[in-house]
Amino acid sequence: MTADRVDALDAPATLTAIRSCVHCGICLPQCPTYRVLGEEMDSPRGRVYLMRAVAEQRLDVTDGFRRHLDLCLGCRACETACPAGVPFGALLETSRAEIERRGRPVRERLLAALIYAVFPHPRRLRALLGAARVYRGSGLSALVRRTGLLRPFSRLAAMEQLLPELPADIALPELVPARGRSRGRVALLTGCVQRYVYPDVNRDTARLLALAGWEVVVPRDQGCCGALELHGGRLDALRRRARALGSVLPADVDWVVTNAAGCGSAMREYGHWTSDDGATRVASRTRDVSELLADSELPLEPLPLTVTYHDPCHLAHGQKVRAAPRALLAKIPGLTVVPLADSELCCGSAGVYNILEPEMAERLLTQKIDRIVATGARTVVTGNPGCLLHIAGGARRRGLDLEVIHPVTLLARAVRWEAS
Amino acid sequence: MTVTTRALSGALAAVVGADRIHEDEAGLATAAIDGVTPRWLAAPATPEQVAQLLALAHEERLAVVPRGSGTALEQGGPPRRLDLVLDLRRLQAVVEHNPDDLTISVQAGMTAGTLAARLAPHRQTLPLDPPGWSTRTLGGIAATQASGPLRMRYGTMRDLLLGVRFVQADGVLTWGGARVVKSVTGYDVPKLMVGALGTLGVLVELTLRLHPVADVESSSLVMFRSAAAAQEMVALLLDSAVQPSRLEILNDRTLTACGLPVAAAALAVSIATVEPAVRAQEAALTTLVARVGGRLEPLGGSFWHLYDRTLAAAGGVTLRIGTVPSRLAVTLAETRNAFGDAAVSGCAGLGALRARVDASDATALAGGIERLRGVVADGDGGVVIERGPRALRTAIDPWGPVPAPALTVMRAIKHAFDPTGVLNPGRFVDGL
Amino acid sequence: MALSGTVLTELARILGADGVFTSREARLTYEADMHTLYKGEPDAVVLPRSTEQVRDVVRLCRRERIPIVPRGSGTGLIGGAMAPRGGVMVSMTRMTEMLEIDLANRSATVQPGVINLWLTDAVRDRGYFFAPDPSSQMVSSIGGNVSTNAGGPHCLKYGITTNHVLGLEFVTGAGDVLRVGGKAADRPGYDLPGAMVGAEGTFGLVTAVTVRLLHLPEAVKTALAAFASVVDASEAVSAIIAAGIVPAALEMLDEAMVGAINAAVGKVYPDGAGAVLLIELDGPRAEVEAQGERIAAICRQRQALFVTVARDELERALLWKGRKEAAGAIGRIASAYLLQDAVVPRSKLPQIMKEMIALGRRYNVVIANVFHAGDGNLHPMICYDDRNADEFARAQEANEALLRACIALGGSVTGEHGVGMDKAKNLPLQYADADLNFMYRLRRVFDPDGLMNPAKLLPSHPACGEGFRPTRPTLPDGAWV
Repeated sequence: MTADRVDALDAPATLTAIRSCVHCGICLPQCPTYRVLGEEMDSPRGRVYLMRAVAEQRLDVTDGFRRHLDLCLGCRACETACPAGVPFGALLETSRAEIERRGRPVRERLLAALIYAVFPHPRRLRALLGAARVYRGSGLSALVRRTGLLRPFSRLAAMEQLLPELPADIALPELVPARGRSRGRVALLTGCVQRYVYPDVNRDTARLLALAGWEVVVPRDQGCCGALELHGGRLDALRRRARALGSVLPADVDWVVTNAAGCGSAMREYGHWTSDDGATRVASRTRDVSELLADSELPLEPLPLTVTYHDPCHLAHGQKVRAAPRALLAKIPGLTVVPLADSELCCGSAGVYNILEPEMAERLLTQKIDRIVATGARTVVTGNPGCLLHIAGGARRRGLDLEVIHPVTLLARAVRWEAS
Repeated sequence: MTVTTRALSGALAAVVGADRIHEDEAGLATAAIDGVTPRWLAAPATPEQVAQLLALAHEERLAVVPRGSGTALEQGGPPRRLDLVLDLRRLQAVVEHNPDDLTISVQAGMTAGTLAARLAPHRQTLPLDPPGWSTRTLGGIAATQASGPLRMRYGTMRDLLLGVRFVQADGVLTWGGARVVKSVTGYDVPKLMVGALGTLGVLVELTLRLHPVADVESSSLVMFRSAAAAQEMVALLLDSAVQPSRLEILNDRTLTACGLPVAAAALAVSIATVEPAVRAQEAALTTLVARVGGRLEPLGGSFWHLYDRTLAAAGGVTLRIGTVPSRLAVTLAETRNAFGDAAVSGCAGLGALRARVDASDATALAGGIERLRGVVADGDGGVVIERGPRALRTAIDPWGPVPAPALTVMRAIKHAFDPTGVLNPGRFVDGL
Repeated sequence: MALSGTVLTELARILGADGVFTSREARLTYEADMHTLYKGEPDAVVLPRSTEQVRDVVRLCRRERIPIVPRGSGTGLIGGAMAPRGGVMVSMTRMTEMLEIDLANRSATVQPGVINLWLTDAVRDRGYFFAPDPSSQMVSSIGGNVSTNAGGPHCLKYGITTNHVLGLEFVTGAGDVLRVGGKAADRPGYDLPGAMVGAEGTFGLVTAVTVRLLHLPEAVKTALAAFASVVDASEAVSAIIAAGIVPAALEMLDEAMVGAINAAVGKVYPDGAGAVLLIELDGPRAEVEAQGERIAAICRQRQALFVTVARDELERALLWKGRKEAAGAIGRIASAYLLQDAVVPRSKLPQIMKEMIALGRRYNVVIANVFHAGDGNLHPMICYDDRNADEFARAQEANEALLRACIALGGSVTGEHGVGMDKAKNLPLQYADADLNFMYRLRRVFDPDGLMNPAKLLPSHPACGEGFRPTRPTLPDGAWV
């Protein structure tokens, strides 16, 4: 099967990619885990070297190998820095597939099973979040936190910490007509976490796209894009999701738009893992909402606010989209954008990383929030639900007065809606 | 096998020729160091002769002191033993010079003045100007790490010496460094030889890095009502894009000695580059002067010769004071407190100062030096006696304290290369 | 050689459990620096955070006679940060504090793991920079720069790392903590910092560095000139020097390199360009303007085919683009190459270029050059097909012959990369036995037991260097050459 060609570390294509690393180390200072830990095994160069050792049979898939790869955020800052063009993200995913194939200890498998059973399944996620709402409202969560019941179970505690205030559901119509003359047709990916935790972002995305002249299709039955499974090395599951998405999203759209960086990044890479027509079509048409909106005329009113912008890894490194969100912010009159130091350094969210590796995620979050505080801005803008949740949670725990919002949320505030 | 003095004389003469060995009282008196007269004075003509002399000295357990122009002998401790003085002034040859390379290899006995004359037609220079430089040998300048105002821009011999040929204590002719401007092949041996007073080897050949002579040079004197104002000016200059080639501070005594108008303190600044840039930087300088409230006057082209002559003038005690730019004023004040009457000058941009004090009571001076050392130690600096009478240099350590772990290493280095103490024993740090 | 339980326990006590690594994965990932053909696994890797920890590790290793291999970011090109005899690798990458920045006295004191560019980044807004700028500066550490006495394109004007080191804190191979040099000028005694910079970890470990900072120049100007031949370009270089101009950087690309770049990147340089000169000036604005004009005139007088002067930062980046693409471009036309770092006197550049063409013919290999024309530091890339053993052998012979030719012209084995493992066997080309002997004795002063970074910098035996055969170092675009 052609799929096996990329799923194994010792597949020729994978080996060639691994060997394109020339061990220069330029990736090291860009890697969040290397910045925190300072040792080679938790750097991109070291991880690729370990992959090579496994592929060339100098090393087994050991606990150590697994551990160092588990600690990798998959943020791909290394890809941005690499002068040799090593496709680290794809190599990581292949390595994880290799690890899955060899099997993990039971404890790890249980937690993974829980995550994959819930997160990529919108209805189950909704049910869990609904239950979480009850849990919150009942005062049980306050009790749990006060008594530190979950402390020994750090990963569960991490999940618990992340639970946000759950908003009411916002239903979106299946078709949002373009305002004025139509520029074309786009399909909107509603996402999984985004759909339930930030439905207002989906709503604002649809409205703004329509205002910008796009006809927006929001297919009701769309499932998960498969990003979580991809990053976890569950490649066959990823392929199923890609094919499913390819068949649900209409073929006659100009673009497939996402407002979640993690989703967009996975979708753009469907072609590496499958040759299914629908999936590859989705891949070639995926765009982040900021890319479409940066390119359009919108009626905006002044918004005198000071904000700073955090680059989600999967937008900046995964999709190489940095200018568009900034251009979007620059359009807003009266807005002051203060540059964020190390804006491209991962906040620690990285998909479900902050659930699986809470200590490292917390260390990175602390650094990120320190840098945000240093800008003096009271609002941080970023286009990924994972980052929004993670940073908002951290700010809340530190008692900071910090608003953490999506670029479309900010833009929607500045729009003169009645004029349109 | 022990050889009698007569036989030794014969052996030495066999190396350099009988007419190049002095054993007569008059001749030897000229070679005395700190009142200690050697048994022989030899004037070798080639590096090979130097090597043979040292081999012999090593064999016969003689103590050897190299000398150049002899104008910087009053430093360090008095010689613990002194048998043979090597006058290296006959080592004058140019070994290699290609103007294209901006490097030159010369023998160590050449004077800096001779070198300058040779380089002038090519519009090149070795930008190293310790007081009295033109008559000093390059080997002597290197061995004493002597420096002058141009260090502001060009550094010292440490930064200009690329390669060095030297004779070890046992007479082995050795090379260190490279002939090219950029080399990291092996250890940086030339660095070890600079300022070592010949205690690790007698320098016989130097490969030096050269610089082009600038189109135009222009100098100014800026006078201040206080040392604090001068220090402020220095701070502003360092924090600007102005690139002076010299930035000297002069206190009132130095101004008087140079025949300049008196002020509490002054800065002598030179800027050397293409004409438009000289004008632009002078304008920048003028603006800064106005901010601090100084008085600016142009200095003629002959000023630096005068300055050099003044600093090199015989007599008195000269101290090398190492401090930092942010402590210039306090150092000037404390120097006055320590000695009452001192002419202070030096590179303000680097905190490398010189104090000239009349040679009076050695004990009183020693007390002053001790006190000043205490003050500059706050800025991690020190005071070294660059020139002074023997009585002073025995009353107090002429070099100043060196932290114990570093001193241990220095001793180990000396022991590694001169275990029997052939080279200049007793004169260097810790009597090494 | 495995480390005993007692030693490992002691290491954990000194560094904390998270400061010692003995796993298979750790030993593998630390077995090489950027020159991956030199591999040697350490028995343990330790990551200290303080000078005291470094000192205690050295003392322990000394007591137990265990080799010590210091390591920074591991980006060297000479096989310097690998452990051919096992032992304890001491990685300084967790010592990343900037201890003091004293702009008034133009100095900074940093721990060795601070990355070169971070220091300049920290002071650039205030108008200062740390001058040594090796092309690896975005990842190489200052401790590593000190150990190898790193250069960079701007060392023509500003000097190399040693010219910017004011003082060091150092743990010697004997386990003593030394503080030498410092901010104040003119210290008595031997120039220990001067001797220790460039010692490549054979004397001990750098635990803090006090460096000189410079004020940023007022203006920067970049020009590019294309010539029909390297001889013409070299004459232009001589004329520039003779005109009394010392540019901040002066790079030359030869015909083979120009061809490779044009083929790989698209016509960056004009047809018929046998050599390209990239010249950068910095300093007071009026000086840079005037010298820029003069350089353009000199190049035209020397038959430049094409002279262009950048008008802004964007144009400047474009001019440098070709130079930065050099390694990558070669990577496209040859599967592998050997990289040299020899130096010749500037005046001998035309001669060595002719020699190189002759060698290329004699051994039937392609040699492409990018070099620092200002200081004579060559970076020939001797190309070969890594599947062809015969071609590889010929490339190696050409490499050796070229090195000998450079030394014969009065040059040096290595201008900026250092010696490490890779060039130790070549030192006898440049130094006589007496000179090497002097260096051995100096080494023993700092490292009496011969435990510090064994097999590096000095040939350990007349027949050393065997057993490590370089096969294929390749460098990506933008990698430092």
